[in-house]
Order: sequence, then C-alpha cells, then structure tokens
Amino acid sequence: MKYLIAEDELDLQQSIVTYLQRDGHVCEVASDFHEASEKVHMYDYDLIILDINLISGSGIDILKILRKENKRSGVIIISANNSLNDKLEGLDLGADDYITKPFHLAELNSRITAVLRRGKFGGDERIEFNEISIDTKSRTAYIDEKSMALTKKEYDLLVFFISNKGRVLSKEIIAEHLWGDHSDLLDNFDFIYVHINNLRKKLTSAGAKYIKTAYGSGYKFIED
Amino acid sequence: MTGFVLTILSSIALYFYTKNLLQNEVEEELYSTEARVEAALNSNRQLFSLPPVVEVKSVQNLLPKVLKDTIIYDPSQDEMELFRELSTYKELNNEYYHITVRTLVVESEDILMALVFSNITIFVIAFVFLFYFNTTRNLRLWKPFFDNLEQMKTFSLTKKDPITLSDSEIIEFSELKDQIMLFTNKVRDDYESLKQFTEDVSHEMQTPLAIIQAKIDNIINEHEINDKQFEQVTSIQKDIQRLKQLNKRITTLTKIDNNQFTNIETINLTDLIDEKIESFKELQFVNLVHNSKKKLFVSMDVYLADMLINNLLSNAIKHSKNKEEITLVTMDNRLVISNFGEEALVHPENLFLRFYRESRANQSTGLGLAIVKKICDLYGFKISYQFEVDHHVFSIDFSK
Repeated sequence: MKYLIAEDELDLQQSIVTYLQRDGHVCEVASDFHEASEKVHMYDYDLIILDINLISGSGIDILKILRKENKRSGVIIISANNSLNDKLEGLDLGADDYITKPFHLAELNSRITAVLRRGKFGGDERIEFNEISIDTKSRTAYIDEKSMALTKKEYDLLVFFISNKGRVLSKEIIAEHLWGDHSDLLDNFDFIYVHINNLRKKLTSAGAKYIKTAYGSGYKFIED
Repeated sequence: MTGFVLTILSSIALYFYTKNLLQNEVEEELYSTEARVEAALNSNRQLFSLPPVVEVKSVQNLLPKVLKDTIIYDPSQDEMELFRELSTYKELNNEYYHITVRTLVVESEDILMALVFSNITIFVIAFVFLFYFNTTRNLRLWKPFFDNLEQMKTFSLTKKDPITLSDSEIIEFSELKDQIMLFTNKVRDDYESLKQFTEDVSHEMQTPLAIIQAKIDNIINEHEINDKQFEQVTSIQKDIQRLKQLNKRITTLTKIDNNQFTNIETINLTDLIDEKIESFKELQFVNLVHNSKKKLFVSMDVYLADMLINNLLSNAIKHSKNKEEITLVTMDNRLVISNFGEEALVHPENLFLRFYRESRANQSTGLGLAIVKKICDLYGFKISYQFEVDHHVFSIDFSK
C-alpha cells in the first residue's frame, strides 16, 4: 500500500511514518501545502493522511484537488480542531474519516485499515487473519468458519487487535479506543483484563493463541 | 426642614416687631386724640364724653397719667374688646379734668394668626412650586444619567450587542458617558482577546500533545524497554488523555460563550438518560437507577443536551466511590440526580466554579460542572445543589 502523509509538524510526520512502515507500506511525506498538492497531482495513493492546517494552505483545498482530478484515494483528516463544522466539511468533500489531535497511532492505524477495507472491497468488508475472519458489515467474527459468540466490546477489541497486529497496545490505548472520552472516568483499567481474558479464552478454546502479554501490562496480537 | 424652622423664627420675629409697631402707633394716636380733646376743652369748656373712646370728667385733684390695656364691653360689637387706654389729669382754666382716651387695638392672637397663616401659605406655595420645578427640571437633567445607569446594570460581557448610552447637555454627564463607552469597549475587547487566547492556547497544545503521544506509541513498539519503563511511559498516556479532555472542555466553554451551538431541537431527556445509563453500564457502572415520573422534554442544542447529562452522570460517578446507588429522577420540567456522600461540601457556593475541587482524590479536569452551569445559564435553566441525608443532590429546573 502507498500512503501519503501530509503533515507539517515533522516530528509527528516521522512518528506516523515509523509506525505505518512496520507493516511494509510505502510512506511518502509532504511537509507543506505545495508539496502535498504537487504529490497528489502527480501520483496515486491508496491513502492520504491529511492535516487540515498545513503551512501555506488548507487541507480542504487538497480535498478539492482530489475531487477535481477524480482520484480515488482514501483520506483521513487529522486536525487540532475538534469542531463539528470542520468535520462535516471535510467529510462532505470526500474525506473518509476524521481524527482529532492528539491521537494514538494505533487508533489512526485501525481507522486506516477500516478506510482501506471499505475502499478496496466496495462494501464486502472482510478482515482475514489466519483462521479468523471477520465480517465487518454484520459485525460477526468466524474462527475456522464457525461463528464466535462475541460481545460488542470483545468484537471491537478483536478488530482493533488485528488492525494493529504485531504492535504493543497499552491498557490506556485500548481503553480509549473502546470507551473514548468516558475512559477518563476509570480509576484503573483493571476491568480491561476482564474483556481481554474473555476474548482470549474464546480464541484459545478454538486453538488461536494470538493475544500475548507485553511488558507485564500491555498486549500484543501476534502469530505464534 | 430648614425652611420650616426659618418660617417659625421669622413668624416670631415679625410678630414681636409688628406688635411693637402697632402699639407705638396706637399710643401716638392716643396722645394726639388726647391733645385734641384738651384743645376742645380749652376752647369751649364743655364736658363731653364719647364712651368708650373719649371720657372727660372733672376731678378734685391731679393724678399721674396712666397708659394701660383694658378690656371693656363694646355694645356696638356686642363683645368684650381689648382697648388701649390713656388716662391723663390736666389742669385747664383752673379746673381739673380727668381725660381718658381709648382706642381699639388688634388682639395679639389675631396678629399672630394672620402672620402664621400668611407665612404658612407662602411657605407651602413656595414649597410646592419649588418641588414641582425642581423635580421636573432634575428629572430632565438626570434622565440621561439614569438611562445610562440602567444600561450599565444590564451590561453583560457575553452579550454581543453594543451598549447604547444617551448623551446629555451636562458636560459631566457627557464625559461620564464617553468614559463608560470607552471602558465597556475596552473591557469587551479584552474579554474577547482573552477568550480568543484561551481558545488558541488549547488549540495550539493539541499538536505538541499529538507529537508526544505518537512518540510514546513508537517507543513502546520500537525500543527494547523493561516492564517498569513501559509502565511509566504508558502512564504518560493517561496524562495526555487528561490534557486532551481539559482542552476539549475549555473549547466547549468558549464555544458556548460564542453561542456556537445552534442545533436546537426538542429533546426527550428521559430517553437520553436511559441511553447514557446503558453506555455507562458497559463501563461497569451498574449502580445507576433512573426513575421517570413523567417524560421530560427540553428544547436545546443536541450536543449540549448530551454533554449536560454526561457531565452530571460523570460527576456523580466520580464522587460515589463505593458503588453506592446513583439515582436520577425525571419529572415535569425537572431533573434530580443524587449520589451518596459522606459529608456535605465545605464550600458548595464554589461548586460550579472552574477548576474548583474539594479533593485531589480523582483526576478530574475541574470543568465538568462549570460546563453544566454554563449550559444551564445559556438556556435559563435553574440548577441547584443541596446536601440532603447523606446525599449530594443536584436538581435542574427547566421551566422558563
């Protein structure tokens, strides 16, 4: 997959590149508006991560270029501004998702995979990982073609794990993904163990031992 | 008051002066009448009397003259009258005469009455006239002042419409008006720029936070670190989350101030609360009980309604540690939410202030209830807090 990361904060841009390259994707970067508009004009990308406030121009204009040239790249907007209007304007102009700073790279990655899935299979949205397959439309997971009885949270957790396979996920990242803003109500994330253990048990009973503990309190979804 | 005292003093002075004047005049008249009588006696030696005004008698010896007041019955008036009397003894043509002349005098009471009456009349007329004159004139003069005062009382920083002050012919008032204009404009500008600054700061903080967050995400994936380091690094994520929440809430407060929530609908708060309780239950907060006596409908912005309920519930959850029940009651135009508490707040009046916390126990942003209050103020809902029988009770009155 070929990504373009259009972000003028170089530290953030490089962190995103480092995180996404691990899956073997090609990551190109653009550090200002001109570079970004030039690149989207010249090349085709599977996915563009677009900062809405680029130096010397707005990400919104990049969206307009994409639309004008009829490019079919997936676009995820990143913005420091949590405003509904910006969000709606971006989505109206063809962006696929919108994420507000600060965000977890794992969260960004899971959004990217979701966007790519939708774009590529045009509605038939399936995730495959060895013997596990997930139908994201009906929100059902299968293991060896047998459907798994997962709760809503366990399902979200499994999709999140597979999207970020091979990466360490801390309890904080998981809590924020599953509960968003409400996660700040929690004194500790102990009850995440409950959800993860339940999911783990359901997977292990079918022979899939992918959820590993990392550094004592984190998790990693990895092949045996 | 001073006018009244002056009237009394002047009445008294006038009384004595007039009385003295009249007495002198009367005595002068008596002497002159007596001299005429004398002259008449001298010329025709005839004794004549005209009681009670003139009486002439022949006497044997001379006595000293007497000048005195006397009361005599006056048949013409048919009443007792006060007379001034001069009785003299004179020797005319070798005969002794006793000449008495009298004249009616005005009684003291009458003088006094007249004086007091006229004075009071003058006083009252002057008072009424001055009062009327002053009031109308003052009202007219002070009108711009009071108008402006009223304007200042209703002045609000958050309202956008400019303050309209009336001008006056009085230089001082006109200057005052200009100064008020200057101050209010300056205060408004300062407030606006402060608000803008707050918004900008919280906005600008997002990018560095995003960088920190991203770097942490890479550290735990790229580098070989030990479990303890992992623990520390990931706990930073929690702090970032807290800052993120703080930023989000500051932005929300500013947006409410700027009146940017305009998606107003009639919202069924009873149903909204049920939904919220369901989503909180997923977070293992199962101690929420909703008791609906009547469906509660409120007209407000959708996002703000969500935030209102969310913040109230979050606050109750944060402050009821031991899984005690949190009760919500919805009824006609009223929402009551209560949670267990061991003791009443020390300063309940500060409850809705920004960053006011009574304990450091939980990591709250200190803005949740400030937002609740702000939302209530925006729509004119009345929110109150009480501590009743070991419970913190918040109640919102939605009636306008």
